[in-house]
Order: sequence, then structure tokens, then C-alpha cells
Amino acid sequence: MEIGLNHYLVLSTILFAIGLVGVMRRKNLLLLFFATEILLNSVNIAFAAISHYYGDLTGQMFAFFVIAIAASEVAVGLGLLIVWHKRHGKIDLDQMSTMKG
Amino acid sequence: MLDHILSILIFFPALAAMFGFMIQKDSIRAYGVAVATIEFVLSLWLWFAFDSNVSGMQFMEQLPLIPAFGINYILGVDGISLFIIILSAFFTMIGIASLTDTKNVKNMIVTLLFLQMTMVGVFAALDAIVFYIFWELSLVPMLYIIGAWGGPLRVYASVKFFLYTFAGSLVMLVGMLFMAYFYYQATGMWSFAILDWYRLILPETFQLWLFAAFFIGFAIKVPMFPFHTWLPYAHGQAPTIGSVILAAILLKMGTYAFIRFSLPMFPDASVFFMFPIAIIAIIMIIYTAMVAYAQEDVKQVVAYSSVSHMGVIIIGTFALNVEGISGSIFLMIAHGVVSGALFLLVGVIYDRRHTKMMSEFGGLAHVMPRYATIFGLMLMASVGMPLTINFVGEFLSLLGFYQQSHILTLLAGIAIVVGAIYMLAAYKKMFFGEVTNEKNSNLPDVNKRELLALIPLSIITIWLGVYPKPVLEPINNSVESIVQLMHDKSITQEAKSRIPNLVKGVEISRTTAGEAH
Amino acid sequence: MEIYLYLALFSPLAGSLFAALFGASPRTKIAGIVPSFLLFVSFVSSTVLLTHILSGGDIVQVEMMTWMATGDLYIPFGFVVDQVSVTMMMVVTVVSTVVHIYSIGYMDHDKGFNRFFSYLSAFVFSMMVLVMSDNFAGLFIGWEGVGLCSWLLIGFWYHKESATWAANEAFIMNRIADLGMLIGIFLVYWNTGTLQYAEAFAAMGDLDTEILTWMGIFLFIGAMGKSAQFPLHTWLADAMEGPTPVSALIHAATMVTAGVYLVVRANPLYDLIPHVGLFIASLGAFVALFAASMALVNRDMKRIIAYSTLSQLGYMFVAAGLGAYWVALFHLMAHAFFKALLFLGAGNVMHAMHDELDPFKMGGLKKAMKWTFIMMTLASVALAGIYPFAGFFSKDLILEVAMIEHHYIIYSVLLFTAGLTAFYSFRLVALIFHGEERYKLFGVHPHEAYKFMLIAMSPLLILAIIAGSFKMTYFEMVTAVLPATEYHVHSAVTYWIMTIGTQVFVILAIAFAYKKYANSSVQVPDGTSVMENRFCYKVLSNQYYIPYFFEEYLVKPYRELSTVFWKQVDLKVVDATVDGIAKAIYGTGEKTRGMQSGNLSTMLKWMVAGTVALLSLAVVFGLAVRYSGEIKTILSGLGVQ
Repeated sequence: MEIGLNHYLVLSTILFAIGLVGVMRRKNLLLLFFATEILLNSVNIAFAAISHYYGDLTGQMFAFFVIAIAASEVAVGLGLLIVWHKRHGKIDLDQMSTMKG
Repeated sequence: MLDHILSILIFFPALAAMFGFMIQKDSIRAYGVAVATIEFVLSLWLWFAFDSNVSGMQFMEQLPLIPAFGINYILGVDGISLFIIILSAFFTMIGIASLTDTKNVKNMIVTLLFLQMTMVGVFAALDAIVFYIFWELSLVPMLYIIGAWGGPLRVYASVKFFLYTFAGSLVMLVGMLFMAYFYYQATGMWSFAILDWYRLILPETFQLWLFAAFFIGFAIKVPMFPFHTWLPYAHGQAPTIGSVILAAILLKMGTYAFIRFSLPMFPDASVFFMFPIAIIAIIMIIYTAMVAYAQEDVKQVVAYSSVSHMGVIIIGTFALNVEGISGSIFLMIAHGVVSGALFLLVGVIYDRRHTKMMSEFGGLAHVMPRYATIFGLMLMASVGMPLTINFVGEFLSLLGFYQQSHILTLLAGIAIVVGAIYMLAAYKKMFFGEVTNEKNSNLPDVNKRELLALIPLSIITIWLGVYPKPVLEPINNSVESIVQLMHDKSITQEAKSRIPNLVKGVEISRTTAGEAH
Repeated sequence: MEIYLYLALFSPLAGSLFAALFGASPRTKIAGIVPSFLLFVSFVSSTVLLTHILSGGDIVQVEMMTWMATGDLYIPFGFVVDQVSVTMMMVVTVVSTVVHIYSIGYMDHDKGFNRFFSYLSAFVFSMMVLVMSDNFAGLFIGWEGVGLCSWLLIGFWYHKESATWAANEAFIMNRIADLGMLIGIFLVYWNTGTLQYAEAFAAMGDLDTEILTWMGIFLFIGAMGKSAQFPLHTWLADAMEGPTPVSALIHAATMVTAGVYLVVRANPLYDLIPHVGLFIASLGAFVALFAASMALVNRDMKRIIAYSTLSQLGYMFVAAGLGAYWVALFHLMAHAFFKALLFLGAGNVMHAMHDELDPFKMGGLKKAMKWTFIMMTLASVALAGIYPFAGFFSKDLILEVAMIEHHYIIYSVLLFTAGLTAFYSFRLVALIFHGEERYKLFGVHPHEAYKFMLIAMSPLLILAIIAGSFKMTYFEMVTAVLPATEYHVHSAVTYWIMTIGTQVFVILAIAFAYKKYANSSVQVPDGTSVMENRFCYKVLSNQYYIPYFFEEYLVKPYRELSTVFWKQVDLKVVDATVDGIAKAIYGTGEKTRGMQSGNLSTMLKWMVAGTVALLSLAVVFGLAVRYSGEIKTILSGLGVQ
């Protein structure tokens, strides 16, 4: 059996779903970051696969962009996370409700 | 200098206002009067240099702002806008000159000068976006005037005024964007220039929708029934100067915009909506006149009377013939003068007694004969006595609409009856009878500063009532060109027959929208 | 000649402005003398113009300047002196000069003396504009101008509630009629393309009868208001609140006859629509009788004369409606003289009696006020139409017109009214001047008016006596512009029977009035006598309950409806809707605040939910577009459009 586009897409979907559940369920900020990374990478897989399928490099280029953005996001995010941890001693999501409207 | 006189008229007060922040508090009043007087003299110069035989735009200025989207800074003035510009310069001048001692007088004068910029800008703008910017900007100084110097309910009144008119003008903005898009589709070029839009012939369904979008913005500003309820609050809470400018100039923006945008751009839709709008106008006239009659506060009587008179202006506008539209423009000026004067007069008594309740007064004709005389003159102008300024406008407006519908004109004509009822009743309550309230028995008559504002208004009231020609002639020429444009542009048979053709015997052939460029 | 025209027109304005200069200063004689003199100038100029016209001169027409010009509309300030307007000018200037001079004495002690003359001269100016204009718009200027001055003068004593009320009533009621007039003017403009009399009337010949009928009706509605015809008549009696010279000038001699003038002026129009003319005549006959009946029992001297004026206006409308325009105008002129005289006499009596108006509280005044007595008696004789006074020539002519035109009902109504007229006029004269000196009960010491006031009144007296002799001259003059129908009863026998019959009838009525009211048994009525409790007396003294009806069924509902509109509709429906929308938006925000719990995890869940919702919507729409064909077939299969 040859590995085709559909397999990649299914993989991407499964990863996306895992990431989505992670985003919704996780209470730990660090694990939330993991979940977003999974989300982003699932999309990257889809980009790369489709790009290869059409023979158009734009998709792969886009995937690089996503990787770069994800990296910078993590860098900023982790920085904030560490500051938060230093102040409050924990990184539980339910505790962060200063934005209550 | 004449080439840029419109820009100067717009930005001179704004610049002066900025310098105003640096002026000492003691001399700010003199400074304000000086600036406003210069502005007024400039506007008179504009009138002097204006060629009343030319029907089109004069003193045009053009400066690209965002050329890619056809947004340009275009100014111009014709017979329709000329006198409203002069009127706004005039009212700012006498408004500042007759300003009584208020707190923060510096802020007030600076605000008024900013307001003047926006007012002149609205009437001189020939680009929809520029028009829109000034239109919305004019809300800000007024919001501030009501909110900062108003009565006890000032915050509610000013927020209501702002949000209501703002919501309406957003719909208008959508209409403008669509209009520009249609222009782009028809010609392949973007343009927000009103004169370009005039040349575009739209299918009837498009016209109907666009007309409706513009209508909401204008109708709230006018204000037309049932969108009028912000007005009594705004007038009730605003300080005298705010009411004067609001009634005299700001309300005219709506009716002016009808003539500048709705009629020439959507002639078929105007004909289509003529009767519904006329019926709304008649409701405005009679209903608000009755509400005015029921008021206990003299300022509210004048406020509701404004709505009632605006109904006559709308009737004249939608007569869609030269007589009616000229009449409605003239009535805009007339109503500006008369209602401005009436608000000033109410301010006079408010300054003395700090109440506007008519039941507090009575017999003032004994105590303040001069005041009673000027009030009486303005009252007679307001009820449309011939040889006063209002009559010319009312007569022409109703005369014009008579061509379109007899029965509706008869109903609209009830204005002259109901107008007399509430005005005479109010006058009787305030001025006639014995002085029953002790507090009224020693009121001083109008002083020099108040006369400074009231005498010129009285003179204009009679002068333009006896000899309206200097104003009516330029108006007439511009209106003729608009009516002819509407006739030529209209598509439907109904519109062709309703809008008169002024070029006798020559039917101008017309092709499709492609002709526009 | 034009200079005389301008002099006649503008000297009253100059007088008014001159008096206005003294508006704020204390009473000064000069503020009365100068306007009177200027009016005399106007009178002299009118006389010059009259002689010019009488000697066969051309009519004088000037166009002073443009008033309104827009589109096809062109309205100048144009004035014309032709045979009709010069007649009116003479009437106006004669009566107003007399009234002005009289007022110098009458208003002697009033602190509004200066103001009074300013208003009065302004009125004369408006009236001159009304009669001299050569177009409908100019007529309307005068029309509204006299309305304004009437408002000012009725409410002259503005401290009195009744006076200001009457002033407002008069103004508003006239405004209702003016609306009709305005519509009439619009009709003229849109159908003939001009408002100039000459051109408009010339163009009317080609118009549909229906349009002409509407024109005639609407213009006549305007005339009904100014001339106080039923049902717009109540203001005239209430207008008697004004100073008496005002009643004499405005509410008897000039302004109220403006309606008649309009119909006479528009004679080419009314000639084309005889059915409207017949309606006018019938209404006139009705008003003549109706007003005379109210005068029978009234106990207010001025109101009696006012009802009499109303009744005589009815006569004029009969003549005008039946096409006898020159007769109407002639009666207008004669009536102006004797009615103004009657009012000025009443003014003398009022002064003497300290503003007492009830003739039952007077009696026997002929000793104290000999000259006033003579003048009022002669004026009443003229009003009753006794030969050879003015009323005989003008009023009996109207009866003849009705007879000759075969309108026998109108004729009999008018004949009966002539009897009533004689009765109530002499009831008044008898009550005031004859019988016991009942005023002594009230401690009044009557005195005769100033000499110069009496002298000022004398021209009116002379005219009231001799005006009839102008008939032929007048006829030859005005028939140059008015239809020259001579009204002669064909058979001499009928003529004599009619004339003598009428005279006898009138004299009997006078004799009856004297018998009933000139004796010593007349008492001040106290509401207990049998007559006062009769039904018809009550109906008449309450003016047929029409003022009551207006108050209860028009004024009050209007007032209440206004309050309802304000408090219930405007505040509780229209404004509440606006506020409701604002509140709804505000409330939605308030409610959805719960979503912004600040909990990141919850917010993330909302975000996911939103994304899913949007995506599914996109998918649904995408599918719907792709399969639109199939969906349509299914829907139409289900019977859905």
C-alpha cells in the first residue's frame, strides 16, 4: 500500500483533534503550549503534504513560516510563563481570571 | 486668495481655535469675536465674488488625498450652499458676541470655532468622504457643548444626540461606499466626487436601496418623524448658544444633504418615495405642532416648532420642481434665522429667571416691552407672516408641492394654522395678562449685548422678507440646473413626468451608464 | 399720477413707523397727530386719483420691484388704481382718517397711546396694500397684514385675558380661512401660470369648470374668514374686546369687507361659475338672518353692532354672489360710512358711561349727549334703509337684485332681515338714549365727547346721509371694470309696491322697537323675566351655542389630543422605542458579560465553539450552493416556492 495524500491528511486531522482536545481540557499552561504546538504542526503536515501533491512549493514555504511563528510564540509565551510562575508559584489556568469582564 | 477662499473659510477658524488655547482668559472673548468677524467678512466676500448667473460650482479646489480610491479633497460652492455657509459664519459671530458669562468661556469659544470649521466643511465639501468626515466631526463639538455646559440631564441628552445621529450616518457611509463601488463598476475608476456621481445613471432598484441608506442618515439629522426624539432633549439641555447653532445650522445639514445627494443622484427613487416622505413630513408638521402646543417649557415649544418647520422644508424639497426646491432652501435660511433668534430670545429670559417654564411668566409685555416686541416679530416670522423671511420659503415650498399633490398640500398647509396656535398660545402665556409672579416685576429689558445679536436678526428677517431676490436668484439658478439634471437622468416614465423639463421642446437623448465617462 | 399712488400707499406706513419711534416713550400727542396728518395726505392723494379716474383717465398701474421670482413664478410688488380699487381706497382713507383723529381724543388717557397709532396706521397700510395690489400674492400680503394688525389691536389691552383670548381666536380662525385662500392662489398659479389679476382672469376662460369651481370655492373660503361668514363668524363678536375706534375701522368698515372686495375683484372668475355664486348668495342670506337674530337679544352694545355688521356683510355677499358686483361694492361703501359712525358713537357712549356696555344700564342719554344721539340715530336710520339715506339706495338695491334674479327665498329672507335690522338698531338707540335715566343707579355722570371728536365724526355723518346720491356717478365709474347690469324692476307698479312695502315694514319695525324699549318701564334684566327664560331667547343670547360647541368639541379635544400626543405618544411610544433599542443593545452586553469570565480555559472553549460554528456554516452554505439545483427541485416537489 502506497502512502498517499489521504493518509497525511488523516494524520493531520487526528493530530489536530488531539491538539484541540488538549487546548480545551488542559489546565496546566505548559501543557497548553504543547497542545498548541500539536495544532500548529498538524497544520504543517497538511501544508507540506498538499504542497507536495500539487507540486507547488508555496505550501512548504508557508509551513516554514508557521514553524518560525510557532517558535517565536513559544519563546515569548515561555518567557511570560516563567514570569507568571515566579510571581504566583503556579501555572494553573483557572487561577488566571484578571480579564474577567 | 480667492482661489482658496473655501479652504481658508474652513481652516481659518480651526487654526484660530488652536491659537486660542494660548490666549489669556480675559481677552479670549475679544479674540473669539474678532476671529468670527473676520470669518464672516470672508464669507461676505465670497458672496460678493460669487457670480450668481453661474448655476454650477464656483471656487472649486482640488487636492488628491487617496487618488487610488478616488478620494480627493474637493471643495466648491453653488447657490444652494453659499447662503448656508454665510449663515453659519454669521451665527457663530453673533453667538460668540452675545455669549453671556459662562464658566470655562475659553473652552466654549474654542469649541465654537472648531464647530464652525466642521459646519463650513460640510456645506463646501464636494467629495463624499470629505463630506462624511466633516459631517461626523460636527457631532464632537456639539456633544461637548451639550455635555459640558448643559442642564441636569446633559449627559443623557448629549450621548443620545451623538449615538442617534452617529448610528444614522454609519448607514449613510455604507451607502456612500456602495455608490463608489457602483461608480467603479460602471466606469472602471474609483471616485467619491459628488459631481462624478451626478453623472452616473443607476438602475431603479439600486437607486431605491441607496436612497434608503442615505435617507436614514439624513432623516435622523433633519430630524424627521419618528427619528426626532433626540432633538427635544438636546435643545432642552443645551446652553443657549448650543441650541442656536443646532437649530440654525446643524439641522440644515440633513435637508441640505437631501438636495445635494438624494435628489440629483437618485431621481427615480426620489419620485418613488415622494409620497411616503410627504406623508411623513405632514405627520411631522401637524403632530409636532400639537406636541409643541402641549409643552410647558418655552424652549421645548421652539424645539418642537423646529421639527414642524423642517417638515415644510422636506415638503418643498420633494416637490421636485424649481419653485419647491428653491423655496425649501430659502426656508432653511429663514428657519435658521428665525429659530436661532427665538432660541436667543429664550436664552435672554433664562438668563434672568433661570427657568423656562411658561407658567412662571405672564405679563412680560409690561416689564420688558422691547423684548416683547422682538419676540413678537420673530413669532410672526415663525408663523409665516408675509414680508417676513419665513413666508417666502413656506409659500414657495407649498406652492411647489401643489403641483405634485393637491390634497397633501392642503394637509401640509395646516402648518400655517397649527403653527399659529402653539406660537400665539405660548406668547399669550408669557407676555400677556397681568404680572402675577413677583419675581418678574423688576426684570431688566434686553441689554446692549443681547440687542447686538437680536437687531441684525430682526433686520434680516424683514429685509429678506421684503426683498428676497439677492438670495433667491442664486438659489434659483443652481436649483434649475439640478432639476434639469434630474429630469435628464431619470429613467422611469413616472419620474419623467413628475420632474419638469426646463429646456422647453428639446428632449435630450440619453444612452446607458457607460456615457458617464 | 404715480406719485399720488405711492403717496396714498406709503404715507400710512410712514405714520406707523413714526409713531413706532415713540413706542417706548410716554404718551405724546405728536405720535397721534403726525400719523393722522399722513393719513389725510393719503386721503387727498386718493381723492386726486379718484378725480383722475372719474374724469376718464387711464388706470394707474406701477410695478415697484420684484418680490419673488423663481422658476416660472414671478411676483412683483405691483399696484393698480382702477375703478374698483379707487373706490376701496376712498372708503379706507376716509374712514381711517376720521378714526385716527377721533382716536386722538378717545385714547387720550391710555398709556399705550403711541403704540396704538403705530398699529392703527400699520393696519391702514396693510389695507391699502390689500386693495391696491394687482396680483393675488400682493392681496395675500395685505390680507395677512390686516390679520396681524387686527391681532395687535384686538389684544391691545393685553393685560385683559378676554382681549388676548379674542385676539388669538381671531388670528387663528382667520388663519384657517387663509389656508383656503392660499390653496386658491396655488390653483390659480398652476392653472393660469401667473398671479397677476389681469392675465390670470384672462386665462380662466379656457379652463375646466371643475377647476374654476375649486378655485372659486377656495378663494371664497379665504373671504369667509376675513368677512366672518358662518361658520367662521365667532371671532368678530369677540373682537369687540379691542378699543372702539378699532372696531369702527377694522371690524366694521374695512377689514371685514375684504372678503367682499375679493369676490368683487375676482368677478371674471365668479361669472364663470354661477353655481358657486349662488352658494355664496345663499350663505350670505343665511348669515344676514342668522346674525340679525343674534343681535335681537344681545345685551352688549358693541356686540349688537358687530352682529349688525355681520348681517350687512351677508347682504353684500348676496349681491356679489348673484353677480351684482357693483351693488355689493356700493353697499360696502355706504355701510362703511354709517357703521363706522355708529361705532364711533358707541365709543362716545362708552366713554361717557365708563366702559359700560350694557344698554339696559343706560337710558335717557339724549340729554347729556345730544350730538352723539343725533349721529347714532341718523346712522341707525341709514342702516335701516330709510329714504333718502345711504342705506336705502344700497340695501334696497340688493333686495331688488334678489327679486330680479328670481331668487324669491333669498329675497324674502333679506326682506325679513331688513325688518330685524331696523328693530335691533332702534332697540339699541331707544335703550341708550330714551326712557328712564337708569344709569343714575350706577352713579355715572355721563358727559359729551370732545368737540373735535364730534367734528371728526361729521364727515361720516354727511356721507351716511348723502352717499346714495353718488349712485349714478359711481355706477358709471365702476362698470368700466365690473359687469354693468342695471337692476330695474320691469313693471313700475311692482317697483313701487316693493319699495313702499319695504319702507312701511321697516318703519313699523322701528316703531315697535320704540314702543317696547323707549318707555319708562324698561328695567335692567335680572334673568327672571318670562322672556329671558324662553328657549329661543336662550338660544339667541348664547349665539346658538356655537361658541360653546367650538370650545367643547374643537378647542378642548385639540388641547387634550396635544397632551396625549406629547405625554403618551411622543414620550411613551416614539422615544421609548428609541430608548428601548438602546436598552436592548445595552442589555445584551450586560447578559453576555458572563462569557468573559476571565478564565482562559473557558475562553478557549468558546473560541473553539465559534470556529466550529463558522466552519459548519461555511460547509452548509457551500453545499447549498453546489446542490442548489437539486434543492430547488425538492422544495418545489414539496410545494414550497
